[in-house]
Amino acid sequence: MKKYAKTAQLSFLERINGGLIYILPSIFIKIFTLIALVYLWRVVMTSGVDVGMTLPQMLTYAYVSAILADMLVVQTAASGWLSEGVLMKLYGRPLPVFGQLAAQTVGGWVPELLMFSLPMILLAPLFSVNLIPKSSYFLLSLLLCISLGFAIELLFACLSIKLRNMNWLLGRMRMAIITVFSGTIIPIRLLPFGLSEIMRYQPFASLGGAPLTIFTGSANVPETILLQVVWNIILWPVAILVWKKSQEGMVSYGG
Amino acid sequence: MEGNRLPTDRITFKRIIKLLMIAAKVDMVWLLRDTRFAIMGILGDVINNLAMVSGVFLIAVRFGGIGGMTTDEVLFMMAYSTLVTGIFMLFGSSNNIHVSRIIGRGQLEHMFIQPLPLSTQLLTNGFSPFTSSSNFIVGVILMMIAINRLEINVSAVWMLTLIAYLIATMIIIIARAYLVSSIAFYAPVAAEEITYTAIDETWLLSTFPLSGMPRFVQIPLMTILPEGLMAWFPALILLNKIQAGLLAYYPMLFALLSALTAGYFFRKGLRYYVQKGSNRYVPYGFRR
Repeated sequence: MKKYAKTAQLSFLERINGGLIYILPSIFIKIFTLIALVYLWRVVMTSGVDVGMTLPQMLTYAYVSAILADMLVVQTAASGWLSEGVLMKLYGRPLPVFGQLAAQTVGGWVPELLMFSLPMILLAPLFSVNLIPKSSYFLLSLLLCISLGFAIELLFACLSIKLRNMNWLLGRMRMAIITVFSGTIIPIRLLPFGLSEIMRYQPFASLGGAPLTIFTGSANVPETILLQVVWNIILWPVAILVWKKSQEGMVSYGG
Repeated sequence: MEGNRLPTDRITFKRIIKLLMIAAKVDMVWLLRDTRFAIMGILGDVINNLAMVSGVFLIAVRFGGIGGMTTDEVLFMMAYSTLVTGIFMLFGSSNNIHVSRIIGRGQLEHMFIQPLPLSTQLLTNGFSPFTSSSNFIVGVILMMIAINRLEINVSAVWMLTLIAYLIATMIIIIARAYLVSSIAFYAPVAAEEITYTAIDETWLLSTFPLSGMPRFVQIPLMTILPEGLMAWFPALILLNKIQAGLLAYYPMLFALLSALTAGYFFRKGLRYYVQKGSNRYVPYGFRR
Protein backbone atom coordinates (compact mmCIF):
# COMPACT_ATOMS: atom_id res chain seq x y z
CA MET A 1 0.00 0.00 0.00
CA LYS A 2 2.89 2.32 0.82
CA LYS A 3 4.21 1.91 -2.72
CA TYR A 4 0.89 2.96 -4.19
CA ALA A 5 0.72 5.93 -1.84
CA LYS A 6 4.19 6.93 -3.01
CA THR A 7 3.11 6.59 -6.64
CA ALA A 8 0.10 8.80 -5.93
CA GLN A 9 2.36 11.31 -4.21
CA LEU A 10 4.72 11.35 -7.22
CA SER A 11 1.76 11.99 -9.48
CA PHE A 12 0.61 14.83 -7.25
CA LEU A 13 4.11 16.37 -7.30
CA GLU A 14 4.30 15.96 -11.08
CA ARG A 15 1.22 18.15 -11.42
CA ILE A 16 2.65 20.96 -9.31
CA ASN A 17 6.39 20.72 -9.82
CA GLY A 18 6.38 23.53 -12.37
CA GLY A 19 5.14 25.78 -9.59
CA LEU A 20 1.61 26.25 -8.29
CA ILE A 21 1.30 29.42 -10.33
CA TYR A 22 1.02 27.39 -13.54
CA ILE A 23 -2.05 25.54 -12.26
CA LEU A 24 -3.79 28.78 -11.35
CA PRO A 25 -5.03 29.69 -14.87
CA SER A 26 -6.81 26.35 -15.08
CA ILE A 27 -8.32 26.81 -11.59
CA PHE A 28 -9.33 30.35 -12.45
CA ILE A 29 -11.14 29.16 -15.61
CA LYS A 30 -12.90 26.37 -13.70
CA ILE A 31 -14.14 28.86 -11.11
CA PHE A 32 -15.41 31.22 -13.81
CA THR A 33 -17.09 28.34 -15.64
CA LEU A 34 -18.77 27.08 -12.48
CA ILE A 35 -20.10 30.52 -11.51
CA ALA A 36 -21.40 31.13 -15.05
CA LEU A 37 -22.94 27.64 -15.08
CA VAL A 38 -24.76 28.30 -11.80
CA TYR A 39 -26.24 31.50 -13.21
CA LEU A 40 -27.02 29.86 -16.56
CA TRP A 41 -29.13 27.27 -14.73
CA ARG A 42 -30.75 30.00 -12.64
CA VAL A 43 -31.78 31.79 -15.84
CA VAL A 44 -32.96 28.60 -17.51
CA MET A 45 -34.87 27.18 -14.56
CA THR A 46 -36.78 30.41 -13.95
CA SER A 47 -38.48 29.91 -17.33
CA GLY A 48 -41.04 27.81 -15.48
CA VAL A 49 -40.78 24.69 -17.64
CA ASP A 50 -41.35 21.58 -15.53
CA VAL A 51 -38.42 19.20 -16.02
CA GLY A 52 -38.87 17.13 -12.88
CA MET A 53 -36.08 18.94 -11.02
CA THR A 54 -36.29 22.04 -8.82
CA LEU A 55 -33.90 24.98 -9.06
CA PRO A 56 -32.02 24.03 -5.84
CA GLN A 57 -31.63 20.46 -7.13
CA MET A 58 -30.31 21.71 -10.47
CA LEU A 59 -27.83 24.09 -8.85
CA THR A 60 -26.56 21.34 -6.57
CA TYR A 61 -26.28 19.00 -9.56
CA ALA A 62 -24.18 21.48 -11.57
CA TYR A 63 -22.06 22.45 -8.57
CA VAL A 64 -21.24 18.90 -7.41
CA SER A 65 -20.58 17.91 -11.03
CA ALA A 66 -17.90 20.60 -11.23
CA ILE A 67 -16.22 20.00 -7.87
CA LEU A 68 -16.05 16.22 -8.33
CA ALA A 69 -15.40 16.36 -12.10
CA ASP A 70 -12.25 14.21 -12.04
CA MET A 71 -13.99 11.40 -10.15
CA LEU A 72 -17.24 11.49 -12.08
CA VAL A 73 -15.47 10.93 -15.40
CA VAL A 74 -12.19 9.15 -14.72
CA GLN A 75 -9.31 10.00 -17.03
CA THR A 76 -5.99 8.20 -16.64
CA ALA A 77 -2.64 8.52 -18.36
CA ALA A 78 -3.39 5.28 -20.19
CA SER A 79 -4.56 6.94 -23.37
CA GLY A 80 -1.01 8.21 -23.79
CA TRP A 81 0.47 4.68 -23.47
CA LEU A 82 2.39 4.75 -26.68
CA SER A 83 3.10 8.38 -27.45
CA GLU A 84 4.00 9.83 -24.08
CA GLY A 85 6.28 7.21 -22.64
CA VAL A 86 3.70 6.08 -20.04
CA LEU A 87 4.23 2.52 -21.18
CA MET A 88 7.93 2.57 -20.40
CA LYS A 89 7.40 4.18 -17.01
CA LEU A 90 4.75 1.74 -15.81
CA TYR A 91 6.32 -1.47 -17.08
CA GLY A 92 9.73 -0.58 -15.69
CA ARG A 93 8.56 -0.57 -12.06
CA PRO A 94 8.03 -3.54 -9.70
CA LEU A 95 4.28 -2.94 -9.26
CA PRO A 96 1.20 -4.13 -11.15
CA VAL A 97 0.55 -1.82 -14.08
CA PHE A 98 -3.11 -1.22 -13.33
CA GLY A 99 -2.42 -0.54 -9.65
CA GLN A 100 0.11 2.10 -10.63
CA LEU A 101 -2.28 3.62 -13.11
CA ALA A 102 -5.00 3.87 -10.44
CA ALA A 103 -2.62 5.35 -7.86
CA GLN A 104 -1.24 7.80 -10.41
CA THR A 105 -4.75 8.91 -11.38
CA VAL A 106 -5.91 9.39 -7.79
CA GLY A 107 -2.71 11.35 -6.95
CA GLY A 108 -3.40 13.60 -9.93
CA TRP A 109 -6.80 14.52 -8.50
CA VAL A 110 -5.33 16.03 -5.33
CA PRO A 111 -4.12 19.46 -6.58
CA GLU A 112 -7.53 20.38 -7.99
CA LEU A 113 -9.37 18.96 -5.01
CA LEU A 114 -7.29 21.22 -2.78
CA MET A 115 -7.15 24.31 -4.97
CA PHE A 116 -10.58 24.23 -6.63
CA SER A 117 -13.01 21.83 -5.00
CA LEU A 118 -12.27 22.67 -1.36
CA PRO A 119 -12.54 26.47 -1.75
CA MET A 120 -15.69 26.10 -3.86
CA ILE A 121 -17.26 23.84 -1.21
CA LEU A 122 -16.62 26.58 1.33
CA LEU A 123 -18.08 29.20 -1.01
CA ALA A 124 -21.19 27.17 -1.89
CA PRO A 125 -23.50 29.01 0.59
CA LEU A 126 -22.70 32.25 -1.27
CA PHE A 127 -24.40 30.81 -4.35
CA SER A 128 -27.26 29.32 -2.29
CA VAL A 129 -26.12 25.82 -3.17
CA ASN A 130 -26.87 23.01 -0.74
CA LEU A 131 -24.06 20.44 -0.60
CA ILE A 132 -25.67 17.93 1.74
CA PRO A 133 -26.46 14.69 -0.11
CA LYS A 134 -30.09 13.63 -0.09
CA SER A 135 -29.13 9.98 0.23
CA SER A 136 -26.23 8.21 1.94
CA TYR A 137 -26.12 5.86 -1.07
CA PHE A 138 -24.34 8.69 -2.88
CA LEU A 139 -20.95 7.43 -1.65
CA LEU A 140 -21.62 3.90 -2.86
CA SER A 141 -22.78 5.27 -6.18
CA LEU A 142 -19.67 7.44 -6.45
CA LEU A 143 -17.43 4.42 -5.82
CA LEU A 144 -19.30 2.41 -8.48
CA CYS A 145 -18.97 5.38 -10.84
CA ILE A 146 -15.20 5.60 -10.27
CA SER A 147 -14.85 1.84 -10.73
CA LEU A 148 -16.84 1.93 -13.97
CA GLY A 149 -14.84 4.96 -15.09
CA PHE A 150 -11.61 2.97 -14.78
CA ALA A 151 -13.11 0.08 -16.76
CA ILE A 152 -14.25 2.38 -19.57
CA GLU A 153 -10.90 4.16 -19.53
CA LEU A 154 -9.12 0.82 -19.82
CA LEU A 155 -11.25 -0.08 -22.84
CA PHE A 156 -10.41 3.23 -24.52
CA ALA A 157 -6.73 2.65 -23.71
CA CYS A 158 -6.93 -0.75 -25.43
CA LEU A 159 -8.52 0.92 -28.43
CA SER A 160 -5.61 3.37 -28.57
CA ILE A 161 -3.21 0.40 -28.55
CA LYS A 162 -5.14 -1.17 -31.42
CA LEU A 163 -5.21 2.04 -33.46
CA ARG A 164 -1.57 2.85 -32.69
CA ASN A 165 -1.11 6.59 -33.25
CA MET A 166 -4.66 7.78 -32.72
CA ASN A 167 -4.65 8.51 -28.99
CA TRP A 168 -5.20 12.23 -29.47
CA LEU A 169 -8.14 11.57 -31.74
CA LEU A 170 -9.57 8.94 -29.41
CA GLY A 171 -9.25 11.36 -26.52
CA ARG A 172 -11.34 13.93 -28.38
CA MET A 173 -14.01 11.41 -29.38
CA ARG A 174 -14.13 9.98 -25.89
CA MET A 175 -14.58 13.44 -24.44
CA ALA A 176 -17.37 14.19 -26.92
CA ILE A 177 -19.21 10.95 -26.13
CA ILE A 178 -18.90 11.45 -22.39
CA THR A 179 -19.94 15.12 -22.58
CA VAL A 180 -23.29 14.14 -24.06
CA PHE A 181 -23.93 10.65 -22.66
CA SER A 182 -22.71 10.81 -19.04
CA GLY A 183 -25.11 13.47 -17.85
CA THR A 184 -22.37 15.44 -16.09
CA ILE A 185 -23.08 18.61 -18.07
CA ILE A 186 -26.79 18.20 -18.77
CA PRO A 187 -28.78 15.81 -16.57
CA ILE A 188 -30.02 12.98 -18.76
CA ARG A 189 -33.64 13.52 -17.68
CA LEU A 190 -33.45 17.03 -19.19
CA LEU A 191 -32.64 15.83 -22.70
CA PRO A 192 -35.32 16.70 -25.26
CA PHE A 193 -36.85 14.63 -28.12
CA GLY A 194 -37.50 11.67 -25.77
CA LEU A 195 -33.75 11.00 -25.59
CA SER A 196 -33.79 10.74 -21.80
CA GLU A 197 -35.63 7.40 -21.75
CA ILE A 198 -33.19 5.80 -24.21
CA MET A 199 -30.06 7.29 -22.71
CA ARG A 200 -30.55 6.37 -19.06
CA TYR A 201 -29.74 2.68 -19.66
CA GLN A 202 -26.47 3.10 -21.61
CA PRO A 203 -23.20 2.59 -19.64
CA PHE A 204 -22.04 6.21 -19.69
CA ALA A 205 -25.17 7.22 -17.77
CA SER A 206 -23.86 5.12 -14.87
CA LEU A 207 -20.82 7.38 -14.69
CA GLY A 208 -21.25 10.94 -13.35
CA GLY A 209 -24.99 11.24 -13.88
CA ALA A 210 -25.82 8.40 -11.48
CA PRO A 211 -24.19 9.70 -8.26
CA LEU A 212 -25.27 13.24 -9.11
CA THR A 213 -28.94 12.31 -9.36
CA ILE A 214 -28.67 10.38 -6.09
CA PHE A 215 -26.94 13.33 -4.43
CA THR A 216 -29.71 15.70 -5.47
CA GLY A 217 -32.52 13.29 -4.62
CA SER A 218 -33.80 13.13 -8.18
CA ALA A 219 -33.03 9.45 -8.77
CA ASN A 220 -34.71 6.15 -8.19
CA VAL A 221 -31.87 4.97 -5.92
CA PRO A 222 -32.26 1.14 -6.13
CA GLU A 223 -32.62 1.23 -9.92
CA THR A 224 -29.66 3.60 -10.37
CA ILE A 225 -27.35 1.55 -8.12
CA LEU A 226 -28.49 -1.68 -9.78
CA LEU A 227 -27.67 -0.30 -13.23
CA GLN A 228 -24.25 0.78 -12.02
CA VAL A 229 -23.57 -2.67 -10.55
CA VAL A 230 -24.73 -4.37 -13.76
CA TRP A 231 -22.49 -2.21 -15.97
CA ASN A 232 -19.54 -2.85 -13.65
CA ILE A 233 -20.18 -6.59 -13.81
CA ILE A 234 -20.40 -6.47 -17.61
CA LEU A 235 -17.57 -4.08 -18.44
CA TRP A 236 -14.85 -5.10 -15.98
CA PRO A 237 -14.40 -8.70 -17.31
CA VAL A 238 -14.49 -7.32 -20.86
CA ALA A 239 -11.91 -4.66 -19.99
CA ILE A 240 -9.58 -7.18 -18.30
CA LEU A 241 -9.88 -9.63 -21.19
CA VAL A 242 -9.29 -7.01 -23.86
CA TRP A 243 -6.47 -5.54 -21.80
CA LYS A 244 -4.68 -8.91 -21.54
CA LYS A 245 -4.90 -9.34 -25.30
CA SER A 246 -3.88 -5.77 -26.03
CA GLN A 247 -0.68 -5.84 -23.98
CA GLU A 248 1.02 -7.93 -26.64
CA GLY A 249 0.17 -5.33 -29.25
CA MET A 250 1.96 -2.43 -27.63
CA VAL A 251 4.59 -0.76 -29.78
CA SER A 252 6.35 2.38 -28.67
CA TYR A 253 9.54 4.29 -29.20
CA GLY A 254 10.91 7.37 -27.50
CA GLY A 255 8.63 9.16 -25.13
CA MET B 1 17.98 36.03 -40.63
CA GLU B 2 15.79 38.69 -42.23
CA GLY B 3 18.87 40.63 -43.41
CA ASN B 4 20.12 37.61 -45.38
CA ARG B 5 16.87 37.03 -47.20
CA LEU B 6 17.04 36.68 -50.97
CA PRO B 7 15.06 39.19 -53.10
CA THR B 8 12.81 36.33 -54.26
CA ASP B 9 11.81 35.72 -50.63
CA ARG B 10 10.15 39.12 -50.22
CA ILE B 11 6.95 38.61 -48.32
CA THR B 12 4.18 39.79 -50.58
CA PHE B 13 0.52 38.86 -50.67
CA LYS B 14 1.30 36.54 -53.60
CA ARG B 15 4.06 34.85 -51.57
CA ILE B 16 1.67 34.36 -48.62
CA ILE B 17 -0.84 32.69 -50.95
CA LYS B 18 1.92 30.43 -52.33
CA LEU B 19 2.96 29.46 -48.81
CA LEU B 20 -0.66 28.71 -47.92
CA MET B 21 -0.82 26.50 -51.02
CA ILE B 22 2.30 24.64 -49.88
CA ALA B 23 0.69 24.03 -46.47
CA ALA B 24 -2.49 22.86 -48.24
CA LYS B 25 -0.45 20.47 -50.39
CA VAL B 26 1.25 19.00 -47.32
CA ASP B 27 -2.19 18.58 -45.75
CA MET B 28 -3.50 16.81 -48.86
CA VAL B 29 -0.48 14.50 -48.95
CA TRP B 30 -1.20 13.51 -45.34
CA LEU B 31 -4.83 12.84 -46.21
CA LEU B 32 -3.83 10.63 -49.13
CA ARG B 33 -1.03 8.83 -47.28
CA ASP B 34 -2.98 8.01 -44.14
CA THR B 35 -6.59 8.29 -45.28
CA ARG B 36 -8.07 6.15 -42.51
CA PHE B 37 -6.47 8.27 -39.81
CA ALA B 38 -7.32 11.51 -41.58
CA ILE B 39 -11.00 10.61 -42.04
CA MET B 40 -11.28 9.50 -38.42
CA GLY B 41 -9.62 12.76 -37.41
CA ILE B 42 -12.14 14.76 -39.43
CA LEU B 43 -15.05 12.82 -37.89
CA GLY B 44 -13.57 13.19 -34.42
CA ASP B 45 -13.31 16.96 -34.80
CA VAL B 46 -16.89 17.28 -36.01
CA ILE B 47 -18.30 15.04 -33.26
CA ASN B 48 -16.28 16.82 -30.60
CA ASN B 49 -17.41 20.27 -31.63
CA LEU B 50 -21.04 19.27 -32.11
CA ALA B 51 -21.02 17.68 -28.65
CA MET B 52 -19.65 20.90 -27.22
CA VAL B 53 -22.27 23.19 -28.79
CA SER B 54 -25.16 20.73 -28.59
CA GLY B 55 -25.17 20.90 -24.78
CA VAL B 56 -26.40 24.48 -24.63
CA PHE B 57 -28.63 23.99 -27.69
CA LEU B 58 -30.37 20.98 -26.12
CA ILE B 59 -31.00 23.03 -22.98
CA ALA B 60 -32.49 25.77 -25.16
CA VAL B 61 -34.74 23.23 -26.92
CA ARG B 62 -35.90 21.74 -23.63
CA PHE B 63 -36.66 25.12 -22.05
CA GLY B 64 -37.86 26.91 -25.19
CA GLY B 65 -34.95 29.37 -25.16
CA ILE B 66 -32.48 30.83 -22.69
CA GLY B 67 -32.68 34.21 -20.97
CA GLY B 68 -34.73 35.97 -23.63
CA MET B 69 -33.03 34.25 -26.56
CA THR B 70 -35.26 31.91 -28.55
CA THR B 71 -34.12 28.40 -29.49
CA ASP B 72 -33.35 29.56 -33.04
CA GLU B 73 -31.34 32.50 -31.74
CA VAL B 74 -29.34 30.10 -29.57
CA LEU B 75 -28.85 27.95 -32.69
CA PHE B 76 -27.51 31.05 -34.48
CA MET B 77 -25.09 31.63 -31.61
CA MET B 78 -23.95 27.99 -31.73
CA ALA B 79 -23.47 28.32 -35.51
CA TYR B 80 -21.28 31.37 -34.94
CA SER B 81 -19.30 29.45 -32.32
CA THR B 82 -18.85 26.50 -34.71
CA LEU B 83 -17.71 28.86 -37.47
CA VAL B 84 -15.09 30.30 -35.11
CA THR B 85 -13.91 26.79 -34.22
CA GLY B 86 -13.86 25.97 -37.94
CA ILE B 87 -11.68 28.95 -38.85
CA PHE B 88 -9.44 28.21 -35.89
CA MET B 89 -8.88 24.65 -37.08
CA LEU B 90 -8.58 25.62 -40.73
CA PHE B 91 -5.65 27.95 -40.06
CA GLY B 92 -4.23 26.58 -36.82
CA SER B 93 -3.51 22.92 -37.27
CA SER B 94 0.28 23.09 -36.78
CA ASN B 95 0.23 24.36 -33.21
CA ASN B 96 0.77 27.80 -34.75
CA ILE B 97 -2.06 29.09 -32.53
CA HIS B 98 -1.26 26.69 -29.65
CA VAL B 99 2.16 28.32 -29.93
CA SER B 100 3.21 27.58 -26.32
CA ARG B 101 3.69 23.97 -27.50
CA ILE B 102 6.18 25.08 -30.17
CA ILE B 103 8.01 27.31 -27.69
CA GLY B 104 7.83 24.86 -24.78
CA ARG B 105 9.08 21.94 -26.85
CA GLY B 106 12.06 23.88 -28.14
CA GLN B 107 10.73 23.71 -31.69
CA LEU B 108 11.21 27.39 -32.45
CA GLU B 109 14.74 26.40 -33.43
CA HIS B 110 13.26 24.39 -36.29
CA MET B 111 11.60 27.55 -37.54
CA PHE B 112 14.67 29.76 -37.14
CA ILE B 113 16.54 27.76 -39.79
CA GLN B 114 13.83 28.31 -42.41
CA PRO B 115 14.48 31.14 -44.89
CA LEU B 116 11.27 32.90 -43.89
CA PRO B 117 10.34 35.31 -41.10
CA LEU B 118 8.87 33.60 -38.05
CA SER B 119 5.62 35.56 -38.37
CA THR B 120 5.12 34.41 -41.98
CA GLN B 121 5.70 30.79 -41.02
CA LEU B 122 3.26 31.01 -38.11
CA LEU B 123 0.69 32.68 -40.34
CA THR B 124 0.81 30.10 -43.09
CA ASN B 125 1.99 26.70 -41.88
CA GLY B 126 -1.20 25.73 -40.06
CA PHE B 127 -3.45 25.97 -43.11
CA SER B 128 -5.09 22.59 -43.66
CA PRO B 129 -8.14 22.86 -45.90
CA PHE B 130 -8.42 19.14 -46.62
CA THR B 131 -8.37 17.62 -43.16
CA SER B 132 -9.50 20.51 -40.94
CA SER B 133 -12.27 22.23 -42.84
CA SER B 134 -15.07 20.01 -41.54
CA ASN B 135 -16.05 22.26 -38.63
CA PHE B 136 -16.01 25.29 -40.89
CA ILE B 137 -18.37 23.52 -43.31
CA VAL B 138 -20.64 22.38 -40.44
CA GLY B 139 -20.58 25.96 -39.11
CA VAL B 140 -21.62 27.35 -42.50
CA ILE B 141 -24.46 24.81 -42.74
CA LEU B 142 -25.67 25.57 -39.20
CA MET B 143 -25.46 29.29 -39.95
CA MET B 144 -27.56 28.86 -43.10
CA ILE B 145 -30.17 26.86 -41.19
CA ALA B 146 -30.30 29.48 -38.41
CA ILE B 147 -30.52 32.36 -40.91
CA ASN B 148 -33.33 30.56 -42.71
CA ARG B 149 -35.29 29.81 -39.53
CA LEU B 150 -34.86 33.35 -38.20
CA GLU B 151 -35.68 34.82 -41.63
CA ILE B 152 -32.70 37.17 -41.45
CA ASN B 153 -32.35 39.56 -44.37
CA VAL B 154 -28.80 38.76 -45.51
CA SER B 155 -27.56 41.95 -47.15
CA ALA B 156 -23.99 42.77 -48.14
CA VAL B 157 -23.67 44.97 -45.05
CA TRP B 158 -24.88 42.14 -42.80
CA MET B 159 -22.37 39.74 -44.37
CA LEU B 160 -19.53 42.24 -43.93
CA THR B 161 -20.58 42.75 -40.31
CA LEU B 162 -20.53 38.98 -39.75
CA ILE B 163 -17.05 38.75 -41.31
CA ALA B 164 -15.81 41.70 -39.23
CA TYR B 165 -17.01 40.05 -36.00
CA LEU B 166 -15.51 36.71 -36.99
CA ILE B 167 -12.16 38.41 -37.64
CA ALA B 168 -12.36 40.25 -34.30
CA THR B 169 -13.18 37.02 -32.47
CA MET B 170 -10.27 35.22 -34.14
CA ILE B 171 -7.87 38.05 -33.28
CA ILE B 172 -8.97 37.91 -29.63
CA ILE B 173 -8.39 34.15 -29.52
CA ILE B 174 -4.99 34.35 -31.22
CA ALA B 175 -3.90 37.32 -29.11
CA ARG B 176 -4.86 35.48 -25.94
CA ALA B 177 -2.94 32.41 -27.11
CA TYR B 178 0.19 34.42 -27.88
CA LEU B 179 -0.08 36.48 -24.70
CA VAL B 180 -0.18 33.45 -22.40
CA SER B 181 2.37 31.63 -24.56
CA SER B 182 4.92 34.33 -23.76
CA ILE B 183 5.25 32.62 -20.38
CA ALA B 184 6.57 29.51 -22.14
CA PHE B 185 9.72 31.44 -23.14
CA TYR B 186 10.62 31.63 -19.43
CA ALA B 187 9.11 28.33 -18.19
CA PRO B 188 9.01 25.93 -21.16
CA VAL B 189 8.05 22.81 -19.22
CA ALA B 190 5.40 24.28 -16.94
CA ALA B 191 3.81 26.46 -19.64
CA GLU B 192 4.01 24.11 -22.64
CA GLU B 193 0.24 23.48 -22.50
CA ILE B 194 -0.83 26.91 -21.32
CA THR B 195 -2.59 27.73 -24.61
CA TYR B 196 -4.65 24.57 -24.17
CA THR B 197 -5.74 25.92 -20.79
CA ALA B 198 -6.40 29.42 -22.12
CA ILE B 199 -8.25 28.41 -25.29
CA ASP B 200 -9.61 24.88 -25.10
CA GLU B 201 -10.60 24.83 -21.42
CA THR B 202 -12.64 28.01 -21.91
CA TRP B 203 -14.50 26.69 -24.96
CA LEU B 204 -17.51 25.44 -22.98
CA LEU B 205 -17.81 28.83 -21.29
CA SER B 206 -17.82 30.53 -24.69
CA THR B 207 -20.99 28.63 -25.66
CA PHE B 208 -23.00 30.05 -22.73
CA PRO B 209 -25.62 32.65 -23.64
CA LEU B 210 -25.02 35.36 -21.04
CA SER B 211 -28.47 36.91 -21.57
CA GLY B 212 -30.34 37.22 -18.30
CA MET B 213 -27.24 36.72 -16.17
CA PRO B 214 -26.34 39.37 -13.56
CA ARG B 215 -23.85 42.12 -14.47
CA PHE B 216 -21.17 40.77 -12.12
CA VAL B 217 -21.09 37.63 -14.25
CA GLN B 218 -21.45 39.35 -17.64
CA ILE B 219 -18.81 42.07 -17.15
CA PRO B 220 -15.87 39.78 -16.23
CA LEU B 221 -16.85 37.55 -19.16
CA MET B 222 -16.58 40.56 -21.49
CA THR B 223 -13.28 41.85 -20.08
CA ILE B 224 -11.02 39.64 -17.95
CA LEU B 225 -12.01 36.39 -19.63
CA PRO B 226 -13.77 37.60 -22.78
CA GLU B 227 -15.84 34.48 -23.47
CA GLY B 228 -18.86 36.66 -24.10
CA LEU B 229 -17.09 37.98 -27.20
CA MET B 230 -16.57 34.50 -28.63
CA ALA B 231 -20.19 34.06 -29.75
CA TRP B 232 -22.79 35.60 -27.47
CA PHE B 233 -22.17 39.34 -27.96
CA PRO B 234 -21.55 39.14 -31.75
CA ALA B 235 -24.72 37.03 -32.06
CA LEU B 236 -26.78 39.65 -30.20
CA ILE B 237 -25.50 42.40 -32.52
CA LEU B 238 -26.00 40.36 -35.69
CA LEU B 239 -29.52 39.43 -34.59
CA ASN B 240 -30.34 43.04 -33.72
CA LYS B 241 -31.24 41.90 -30.21
CA ILE B 242 -29.62 44.98 -28.67
CA GLN B 243 -29.14 48.54 -29.86
CA ALA B 244 -25.50 48.74 -28.87
CA GLY B 245 -24.50 52.02 -30.55
CA LEU B 246 -20.76 52.50 -30.22
CA LEU B 247 -20.61 49.43 -27.98
CA ALA B 248 -21.05 47.38 -31.17
CA TYR B 249 -17.39 48.17 -31.95
CA TYR B 250 -16.23 46.91 -28.56
CA PRO B 251 -15.07 43.48 -29.87
CA MET B 252 -12.93 45.24 -32.50
CA LEU B 253 -11.41 47.55 -29.88
CA PHE B 254 -10.82 44.62 -27.55
CA ALA B 255 -9.18 42.70 -30.41
CA LEU B 256 -6.88 45.63 -31.19
CA LEU B 257 -5.81 46.12 -27.57
CA SER B 258 -5.33 42.37 -27.06
CA ALA B 259 -3.19 42.11 -30.20
CA LEU B 260 -0.98 45.05 -29.16
CA THR B 261 -0.51 43.65 -25.64
CA ALA B 262 0.20 40.15 -26.91
CA GLY B 263 2.65 41.48 -29.52
CA TYR B 264 4.59 43.42 -26.88
CA PHE B 265 4.93 40.50 -24.45
CA PHE B 266 5.58 37.91 -27.15
CA ARG B 267 8.45 39.96 -28.63
CA LYS B 268 9.88 40.49 -25.15
CA GLY B 269 9.74 36.75 -24.47
CA LEU B 270 11.25 35.96 -27.85
CA ARG B 271 14.23 38.22 -27.12
CA TYR B 272 14.75 36.36 -23.85
CA TYR B 273 14.51 33.01 -25.64
CA VAL B 274 17.01 34.03 -28.33
CA GLN B 275 19.53 34.89 -25.60
CA LYS B 276 18.92 31.89 -23.33
CA GLY B 277 17.74 29.10 -25.67
CA SER B 278 15.74 26.04 -24.66
CA ASN B 279 16.69 23.30 -22.20
CA ARG B 280 14.02 20.83 -23.35
CA TYR B 281 16.25 18.43 -25.29
CA VAL B 282 19.01 16.26 -23.94
CA PRO B 283 21.97 15.71 -26.32
CA TYR B 284 20.67 12.34 -27.54
CA GLY B 285 17.35 13.77 -28.61
CA PHE B 286 14.75 13.02 -25.93
CA ARG B 287 12.55 15.69 -24.50
CA ARG B 288 13.00 16.44 -20.81
